[in-house]
Amino acid sequence: MRAAIEAAKRGLNVALVSKIYPVRSHSVAAQGGINAALNKDDSWEDHMYDTVKGSDFLADQDAAEVLCKEAPENILEIEQMGGMFSRDSSGDIAQRPFGAAGFPRTCYLSDRTGHGLVHVLYEQLLKHNIFVYEEWYVIRLVVEDNISRGIIAYELSSGKLHRLHSKAVILATGGYGRVYKTTTNSLTSTGDGMGLALNAGVTLMDMEFVQFHPTVLKRTGILMTEGARGEGGYLLNSKGERFMERYAPHAKELASRDVVSRAEQTEIDEGRGVDGCVLLDIRHLGEKKINERLRQIRNLAVKFAGVDPVHEPVPIKPGAHYSMGGIKTDVDGATSVAGLYAAGESACVSVHGANRLGGNSLLETIVFGRRAGRKAAEFSKGSPLSSFPDSFLKDTANKVANIIKRDNGEPAFRIMDELKVTMEECCGVFRDRTRMTKGLEKVWELKERYAHISLVDKSDYFNTELPALIELEHMLDISEAILLGAVEREESRGAHCRTGFPGRDDKKWLKHTMISTEKGEYKVSYSDVTITRFKPVERKY
Amino acid sequence: MKIKVKIKRFNPTEGESPAPYMQAYNVDVTEGMTVLEALMKIFAEEDPTLGFRRSCRSAICGSCAVRVNGFSKLACNTQISPEYEKHGEVLIEPLSNYPVLKDLVVDFDKFWKKMDKITPYLTPPEDPGAVPRVTKEDAERIDSSQRCIMCGACNSECNALEIDTSFIGPSALAKSWRFVGDVREAESGKRLKRLSAEHGVWDCVRCIHCTEYCPKEVAPLTQIERLRSKAIKEGLDDNPGAKHVISMIQSVRRLGRLDEAAMTFKTLGFLRSLGMIPFGIKLEIHGKMPLPHIFSQIEGIDEVRTIFKESEKITGGKKKR
Repeated sequence: MRAAIEAAKRGLNVALVSKIYPVRSHSVAAQGGINAALNKDDSWEDHMYDTVKGSDFLADQDAAEVLCKEAPENILEIEQMGGMFSRDSSGDIAQRPFGAAGFPRTCYLSDRTGHGLVHVLYEQLLKHNIFVYEEWYVIRLVVEDNISRGIIAYELSSGKLHRLHSKAVILATGGYGRVYKTTTNSLTSTGDGMGLALNAGVTLMDMEFVQFHPTVLKRTGILMTEGARGEGGYLLNSKGERFMERYAPHAKELASRDVVSRAEQTEIDEGRGVDGCVLLDIRHLGEKKINERLRQIRNLAVKFAGVDPVHEPVPIKPGAHYSMGGIKTDVDGATSVAGLYAAGESACVSVHGANRLGGNSLLETIVFGRRAGRKAAEFSKGSPLSSFPDSFLKDTANKVANIIKRDNGEPAFRIMDELKVTMEECCGVFRDRTRMTKGLEKVWELKERYAHISLVDKSDYFNTELPALIELEHMLDISEAILLGAVEREESRGAHCRTGFPGRDDKKWLKHTMISTEKGEYKVSYSDVTITRFKPVERKY
Repeated sequence: MKIKVKIKRFNPTEGESPAPYMQAYNVDVTEGMTVLEALMKIFAEEDPTLGFRRSCRSAICGSCAVRVNGFSKLACNTQISPEYEKHGEVLIEPLSNYPVLKDLVVDFDKFWKKMDKITPYLTPPEDPGAVPRVTKEDAERIDSSQRCIMCGACNSECNALEIDTSFIGPSALAKSWRFVGDVREAESGKRLKRLSAEHGVWDCVRCIHCTEYCPKEVAPLTQIERLRSKAIKEGLDDNPGAKHVISMIQSVRRLGRLDEAAMTFKTLGFLRSLGMIPFGIKLEIHGKMPLPHIFSQIEGIDEVRTIFKESEKITGGKKKR
């Protein structure tokens, strides 16, 4: 939405295509906040250092610089649009401490910051009269001669395929958390944009870096914000110890997410867990503060875990949360294909490297959404409309028709369940070659089986089984990309932790993983990390 | 434990004269299972033709509002077992007051159009220097109206919308307060004027359903009352709704009770009140008009006036009428 608004502001004819209504997007679930060095005692350089250190020095520093430098003006711009942030007693935008940040620089709206931002952007979308194709699933990017020609989309209410012929396309499709069984992500976070891009010949980058959020509810994977620890919450094991004191003596509960998730998993694996979880304790904050700043998560804990955090600690564990990797772009969202852009979680600029800091993902969406919108507008003004090859439409129509025609195959959902379990078991918080190789073989087997699945619902009116099947295809492709990158990387960096290779190996592995397809085969290659200000040093919290 | 889940289904593209029907599924319900999880289970394991919307499954995206045992709720934060224990069954239907597209999927077109109508974005002063600084209190004033996730449950439960589909509805009104109550908004007056017209803020019948069934503590009725009160304060009282409220206050201040006959005249004006005479006669025939028709002051009128005085101290003095 941020990209669409920017392009529309620059006089372009813009449409937004979305498989759900814009206000249903997963960004609404972002709770804790958005980082910006607003305080006079803080600086964008410090924000950048925290970001780069948090990334375990894998972030491209030119990109991290843009992110942190442009953060304050973006926050103020959102406020001018009508966005509202929580205030402190002097009337300034309030900021709370967040994990691995050297300064309290996370702006927030209670514990529903993402929700607030999505709604203000939606308001602007209406203000700029941007047309929304609601409940349209993009099922193909049309790229020929390395030039983007538009997209092909499936309309849920009619079963029709539509071609949208455009000069530029911006992908802002979010992450792929749903390839894991335990995830904070929406049911719709199936990595569609990354799958589409990969199949259109675009390179994916650093896919093995999957963030596991340290505090999610056990059965449902629902997020308990990092703000709970930012406001002073403790993590306890079965003995009642604040175990983070042992893993990160200085930052404790507010170490970076990868560090906290590993500590929790270690406590659980070594028998100091509570029924497969550890405990998040915020009782000492008191009911008043909890209601004011953590009201939503109190309600979520009551509704979904049957625990009121005012009176009891909440059982939590790590869960798949964020895709650091994604579609490779430059700092203007441009991909290797002319006219094709990506922004937000679906893109890899890369500002998060091997581990993202809390409060930097919402920031990335608005900073790089704005930049991608601006660049796509410039590109569109300066380029002719390239032709839309009909063969793509025919080809896609045949593909869909073949799926619908197929009978007596396996149902998609069994494959989906097996995939999620495989990814959780074989490519989770701790990783080793044996399990990942097994995982890779399983994914190949599932891909085999995917070719023979069939639909029960053959109708063309609100058929939600067909899109689910297309999402599954993306999920399989993405899982393969994650596993391929992870198997190869023999070091531990950020969220990627290889048992047997406990240290970071800058000599061999200070580089980005690139995954692309060539005639259906996946190819892994590597590229250098951009280092400008900060030389890699050992990372301690 | 197996629980029978009944779902109201409808597919307008099926058969010659498509009509809604009930379909029952036996769902193996585990502890804590939500209605949405049950729907997902039915969809994945039994019947992928079942239509329903879903996304975040954590009560923040607003996709999955349905009616469970007659009441509008988010499927994702409603647990099956307590519903079953309370009602002896689990009946899932689409939201009310919306056209049904398929099964539990309803047409939100009107919902969005109504949002569009209220100019759903901030219109700050043109000079950026004239934008007031937001204080903590300013932010808190609109906080509950900002919690809305646009799930549409309030509109589904709204009694006024049920009889008048042109009514703007609680969701759009709650959103209106988000702007009218914003200290940075430059067009509050214009907004209030529009909202004071027919189908606007005065068409709400104050049944409190919107507030009762809102899953996110938005309290749409509270926002509606804030809009009404601000409209009257700004002198927008030349409409039956505002007149009704004003005459009610006058009546209680004067007599300590409601003088309904006099209120009718004050609300509707003389000519339109004449049109109410047949209705009055009908009420009389059915014994719904208690005697006397002309009310006298109640005994404890001094106490009533003290209440007025005290409340005016709190709200900042008697308003000019």
